[in-house]
Amino acid sequence: MSEETLDPAISALENRSRALFEDSVAGLDMRTRSRLTQARHAALAAAGASARRPWLMRTPFWASAAGVTAAAVLGVALWFGGPLSQHGQVSAADTQSKFEDLDIIAASDESSGDAMDMLQDDVDFYAWADKTASGEPTA
Amino acid sequence: MSGFDTLSSAWMVWDDPAPAPGGVVLEQTRELDKFLGEIERRAFRMAQVALRDPDDAMDAVQDAMLKLARNYAARPSTEWRPLFYRILENGIRDLQRRRSVRNRFMVWLPGPKEDPDNEAQDPLDTVADGGTPVPERLMQDEAMEKLESSLRELPARQREAFMLRNFEGLDVAETASAMGCSEGSVKTHYSRAVHTLREQLGEVW
Repeated sequence: MSEETLDPAISALENRSRALFEDSVAGLDMRTRSRLTQARHAALAAAGASARRPWLMRTPFWASAAGVTAAAVLGVALWFGGPLSQHGQVSAADTQSKFEDLDIIAASDESSGDAMDMLQDDVDFYAWADKTASGEPTA
Repeated sequence: MSGFDTLSSAWMVWDDPAPAPGGVVLEQTRELDKFLGEIERRAFRMAQVALRDPDDAMDAVQDAMLKLARNYAARPSTEWRPLFYRILENGIRDLQRRRSVRNRFMVWLPGPKEDPDNEAQDPLDTVADGGTPVPERLMQDEAMEKLESSLRELPARQREAFMLRNFEGLDVAETASAMGCSEGSVKTHYSRAVHTLREQLGEVW
């Protein structure tokens, strides 16, 4: 095999061993051949499934990292981008209130009931409370 | 993987075309099917030489096929051969490592019981290969056994270099890529392997 081999004895060994190996490959039993074919089919099926999957699904690491980053950016934007904070009127009570809101939303998992539904049910009450707090006349 | 009840059922699997996923990957799948079909038997025999156990060899080849198909199918087909053999050699090394750890513990445990019924043999295992006359076949089998035995005694890197270069026909650069070393190292490993084999097998072999 080696193109630099000049020793005839070495060349003979290379040729003989290659011929024996090829012979043993040709003599593989049917069961082994069949198992190899099955293994090949399984590998091709896996390759096909992998290629058909959307790009994002092929990279779950990226998807989860992007999700966490987006949530963090949204949280910071909501925290510092509120109308009160823009006017420099953030009081300790407001901060406390925001903590409570976040706490309610964060706790709204399947086991603790749906807090978002609870908030939506009392929209009128919260609108009235907001107007009362800001000194606007109520209807 | 289960065996086959009859020879005809084995041939059905053998003759089945590979499942085609369709779409844009069809051509690539065909090419990969062709590539794996060309190398699977030689890869199995090389794994068997290294691992001795046919089931371990089958596991190593199957694993290498899956990894190549899943992770490198999109790469140019010219890169598949060295990639495949690199995966296969890594798999063989892992299996050998696991086996040596297992043997360290198994030496303290009682050996397996002899099967009094000699467990029913798969009829496919006994199918004659045909073609070569029996005395010549026996001589070839004996010579191959000697070669395999000598190859197993070689250091792993020398064995890899010899099998990839001589059995699989990879050139020096491809072998270096498959082994993850320099071309100079491949030449050194190969040269040592050939000379050791020559000494072990003798001139009459």
